[in-house]
Amino acid sequence: MKNKVVFILTAAFLGTFFLFSCRGKQEKKTEISTQWKFVKSIDLNNVNPIGIVAQGDFLWLSDVDNNRIVKIDLDGKIIEAFDGFQRPMHIAIQKDKIYVPEYTSDSLKILEDGKVSIYKLKEKPDAIAGVSIDGNTAAVADFYNNRIILQQNHKVTIIGKEGHKDGELYYPTDVEISNDLIYVADAYNNRVQVFDLNGNYVRMIGWNEGIKVATGVKVTDSQVIVADFDGNRVLVYDLNGKLLQILSDKFNQPTDIEIVNNKMYVVNYKRSSISVFYK
Amino acid sequence: MKTLLKTGIITLLTFATFILSTTNVNAQTKSETDKTYIKIEVDGLSCPFCAYGLEKKLKQAGAKDVLIQLKEGEATMSVSKDQQPTEDELQKIVKDAGFTPKEITFSTTPFKMKKDEK
Repeated sequence: MKNKVVFILTAAFLGTFFLFSCRGKQEKKTEISTQWKFVKSIDLNNVNPIGIVAQGDFLWLSDVDNNRIVKIDLDGKIIEAFDGFQRPMHIAIQKDKIYVPEYTSDSLKILEDGKVSIYKLKEKPDAIAGVSIDGNTAAVADFYNNRIILQQNHKVTIIGKEGHKDGELYYPTDVEISNDLIYVADAYNNRVQVFDLNGNYVRMIGWNEGIKVATGVKVTDSQVIVADFDGNRVLVYDLNGKLLQILSDKFNQPTDIEIVNNKMYVVNYKRSSISVFYK
Repeated sequence: MKTLLKTGIITLLTFATFILSTTNVNAQTKSETDKTYIKIEVDGLSCPFCAYGLEKKLKQAGAKDVLIQLKEGEATMSVSKDQQPTEDELQKIVKDAGFTPKEITFSTTPFKMKKDEK
């Protein structure tokens, strides 16, 4: 009887151990498969991109050197081009509207069906480097004023001021609203900072990885992806700021990131190209 | 009589063409001499946000034909002579744009530009 009990307990222990071992291996396998892998580089013909957004199976790029917005297919072929923008930077999209911040004119313009209108900002910026739109909320990266203008219907919240401490900004270049949080590419503080919709500082991401210039930020449902312009890298974090992956060797002054169908598209300003990854 | 008329018309047309072309050259020369060309060497001009920020500030100050060369770390522009900024004013503009100016050169003729390699 005693031997039987010992046998059953040993079998149960070994079985449990075996099951946990298998599960561990499975989790490890899953974790490995979530790593981004390089697919290809797409050359852009005479386009020097800063911002990128997706619309179905198309990509929109802000071509800052040529003062235009271009629509390309996923192979980089230009489908449409819209001239006359004054140094367009990090663009945003909501439904069929492309939001274009003009760095030189301090205007936020909307491109829809080939027509251009103006989104009225209640605060005057000095060089808009990036914009994010979420419903009726707009967040604008106000480069020379070292702040984010958050406009919710009639309410305006100013986030950040010039400085290097937590919650302070030094030349912000990109911004993204995601799940009621504001992610800011705090370019020359070499980090991403996260704020709530009331402008309260929440957390900092990337301060430990030696980012040279945090130029662009993309937030997914599980990751924060940062373009390091001078470091020629793209850094992938979880939403709490834990480093998951560093991508390098495939970039030449990366400025922005977009995700389409589980693929990551990173625009390279200097090389005039897009680096594509999948997971 | 016919030959005389023909010669007269040809002479008149030649004279008119000469006068017109001379006027055009004079106008062009006058336009060029009304301008001052400026070259500013800048430290820390590395990204498009920096470059186009400086372009913005210089244009706000009345500069025309502003060209920023990232690789060379240079900004060139023209201004009309009656609105020519001083060196101190230019230094302030560059500093306000977030950079350190090095050398500022004024010229009566355009600067030869090296092609910005990308």
